[in-house]
Amino acid sequence: MAALRVAALLALVACVGTEGPPPKGSGGTLVISTVGDPDILIPPLTSTVQGTQITDLVFDRLAEIGDSLNIVGDVGFTPRLSNQWTWRRDSLSIAFHIDERARWHDGQPVQAKDVRFTFLSYKDTALGSPFAALITNIDSVTTPDSSTAVFWFRSRTPQQFYDAVYPMPIMPEHIWRDIPRSSWRASERAKAPVGSGRFRFVRWTPRQSVELEADPLNYQGAPKLTRAIWSLAPDFNTAVTRFLSGETDFFEGLRSEHVPEVARVSHLRIAKTRGSDYTFAQFNFRDPSNRTRPHSIFGDRELRRALTMALDRNAIVRNVFDTFALPALGPTVRAYQTTDPNLPQIPFNLERARLILDSLEWRDADGDGVREKNGRPLQFRLAVPGSSRARTGMAVLLQEQWRQAGVKVDVEQMDFPAFVNLTRTRAFDVVIGGWHTHPSPGGVRQTWSSMGSRSPTGSNYGAYENPVFDAYVDSALASHDLPTRRALFTRAYEIIIQDAPAIWLAELIPTMGYHSRLQLAPLRPDAWWAHIPEWWIPEDRRLPRDNAPLSTPSSTPSSADSAGRKAP
Amino acid sequence: MIRYVAERLAQAAVIVAFVAAISFALIHLAPGDPFSAAIDNPSINDAIRDRLRAQYGFDRPLPEQFARYIGQLSRGELGWSFSHDRPVRDVLADALPNTLLLMSVALVGSFTLGILIALVQVARRGSATDHVLGGISLFFLSMPDFWFAILALLAFTYWLPIFPVGGAVDPVMHEYMSIGGRIFDRLRHLLLPALTLTLLASASVARYQRAALLDVLPADYIRTARLKGLTEKAILRRHALRNATLPIITMIGLSFPALLTGAVFIERVFAWPGMGYAVVNAIAARDYPLVVGAVIIGSIMVMVGSLLADILYAWADPRIRDE
Repeated sequence: MAALRVAALLALVACVGTEGPPPKGSGGTLVISTVGDPDILIPPLTSTVQGTQITDLVFDRLAEIGDSLNIVGDVGFTPRLSNQWTWRRDSLSIAFHIDERARWHDGQPVQAKDVRFTFLSYKDTALGSPFAALITNIDSVTTPDSSTAVFWFRSRTPQQFYDAVYPMPIMPEHIWRDIPRSSWRASERAKAPVGSGRFRFVRWTPRQSVELEADPLNYQGAPKLTRAIWSLAPDFNTAVTRFLSGETDFFEGLRSEHVPEVARVSHLRIAKTRGSDYTFAQFNFRDPSNRTRPHSIFGDRELRRALTMALDRNAIVRNVFDTFALPALGPTVRAYQTTDPNLPQIPFNLERARLILDSLEWRDADGDGVREKNGRPLQFRLAVPGSSRARTGMAVLLQEQWRQAGVKVDVEQMDFPAFVNLTRTRAFDVVIGGWHTHPSPGGVRQTWSSMGSRSPTGSNYGAYENPVFDAYVDSALASHDLPTRRALFTRAYEIIIQDAPAIWLAELIPTMGYHSRLQLAPLRPDAWWAHIPEWWIPEDRRLPRDNAPLSTPSSTPSSADSAGRKAP
Repeated sequence: MIRYVAERLAQAAVIVAFVAAISFALIHLAPGDPFSAAIDNPSINDAIRDRLRAQYGFDRPLPEQFARYIGQLSRGELGWSFSHDRPVRDVLADALPNTLLLMSVALVGSFTLGILIALVQVARRGSATDHVLGGISLFFLSMPDFWFAILALLAFTYWLPIFPVGGAVDPVMHEYMSIGGRIFDRLRHLLLPALTLTLLASASVARYQRAALLDVLPADYIRTARLKGLTEKAILRRHALRNATLPIITMIGLSFPALLTGAVFIERVFAWPGMGYAVVNAIAARDYPLVVGAVIIGSIMVMVGSLLADILYAWADPRIRDE
């Protein structure tokens, strides 16, 4: 078998061409081990993390957010496709000047018309971009000349610059203009994207790999890595094993049980960054069988507080995540500049929780360990997606800790689509959910405000509504001054934490494993992959796979696809 | 014979249509739909999901959706895969050859190995070799597919790294290899999953074949062969084995679909981009057209396996051929 291995290595080396040495401090092939396939490779339609990672490297925004995730005004942003911008005096428009050096990967220049085309595409309901909701404050985009795109806003807000640049990586008009937007999803071009980023697309072999390579003529300069490859596996264990065995260089989503193994292998390292995901156990305020009525248990604020008080959240998080998560603070994450890490919480106090439940007349009269009130037991269902080991683990611990307070919980595990269906139809008592946050804390309006509860575009499935909370959030979002903004958000969070519409469980700490040969750049909290163009591998640590040649520039898909294929 | 095959094919068409209808109904009964993904992303809200649902016709009554689907099928279209954003036909055309490659290697390997083990066991029946081989067969027979696959993966890719960790080809270097290098690369990736499937499947073949051989050994014609002075080896190979193959032929027919389901776990663990991998993801994503398309392919494989078994039966047993 050793001979087989040597033969394999020789075969690989013999088959690989070599180029001249790359500049010092650059070069190498990054292989990322990941679980699952991307869905599609164009920014307006991708909704998978793999798709986002790849499109973020292939496509450019007008400006890029900085590592501090400061979204107020433009100070936190650095130029990308736009090398300078001008605010109108009333701040209701911003004129972006397009960098004249910028080229699409097929050699065409990037122009202002591409920016306008991108905006119109995102807004078009025929395309159905999930990001359309993030650009509602933009009224229109005009192009006074070929290198200037002017964004016109409906209202002046602190994050209008962010609204203009963050949700919309710019798409090439000349590639997409002939394809009806309703057919983009079905188009072959959505699987072989042409962008303007520092990496260009090479190939996607479904369920096996996606390959990008350096664009050596990029206007921002070539990336340091020669290639970046996503090695796709359907199974988590397989993906981890690929990383641990050295077949890949990088794996995101390490779990605590992998730490001893990573520590044992001398060439493996662990990197952590601030997270942008939090999980929670959400109470339903409405009766699942009749939504016009309040929920018979969770309509009572004091009872929700008692249920929160009965839980030792620190122990739960430690048990399930070890050091890979922190107790969540509220409907926010610590990465936001507007989040006070010392937000007051409802403390764990089992005795006090029992007393509150007694005072609310939930008492265990028959001695079966479950409290009752008017003959009705304090019992409810806790729904959790079985595909998430962490959420399942938390559900079991919640069940046990609530049992000690005299509360009977039936944990219902279900597959993910069934869980989503239950959540969407509001047919639950309690669900263990999670939100992935964008750099703007404004997402809390959609997930926890009255608007989020009542609007069809809202995602406040538990139907918590408090106009005071809404008002503080609105005021915070309207404030340009960071200390004021932070103070207003803090007040809003304090209100919702004390109202306990959910139990804030864990804020995940993204934990990545990487090979020590990789020279990493800082990992941005919302997108660890943002600085991949600055990663590289020293010459003395390279493997045969690092020396594969660059391909010829990717060409535009054939004209046969120009009309797109129509999805049924 | 041609008429017989034609009749069986006609029956198969009816059964496949029935299976398609049942699977269509069952998958639609499961809660959720293809647009349930990314619930954790507040950008993808219910309004967008509803719009997508309407765009693809999932807001229509189920009978109407079924009628549309049957209409598509009658035109030879399997529909659109939502999880792959490609026609189902293309997804299956990518996946099926990989599964057939894995299955055929495992099928040939498992039956060859199983029959050989059975021959050795019967030739040395009652000896320590017989007991040891029987024990090993029982061990593999008792082993859950996915668990053994994970163990094999860890053992031969991590603890003793002589095989690549899954996939059909090297995701980094394959495209840069010569033709010879690519073939070698593909074989290198095929070996471990095929070996795993072979070991798991050969255990039952060995046990069935051993029992069938032991059944025919007391027969008169075997005694006659012995009296004629033939060696035990020749008796086993020339006389006993052919008469003891009938149960194994039945197994071959059954193994076709069984290997497909077994390959679901193997493909998942070894990241082998075949049917099993595609179908498991499709079920989780409620990709209705792909699930039903895969079930149709699966039922066709059952039919083919059954037909193959009947033809082999006729070849092996002149009495059946005469009938």
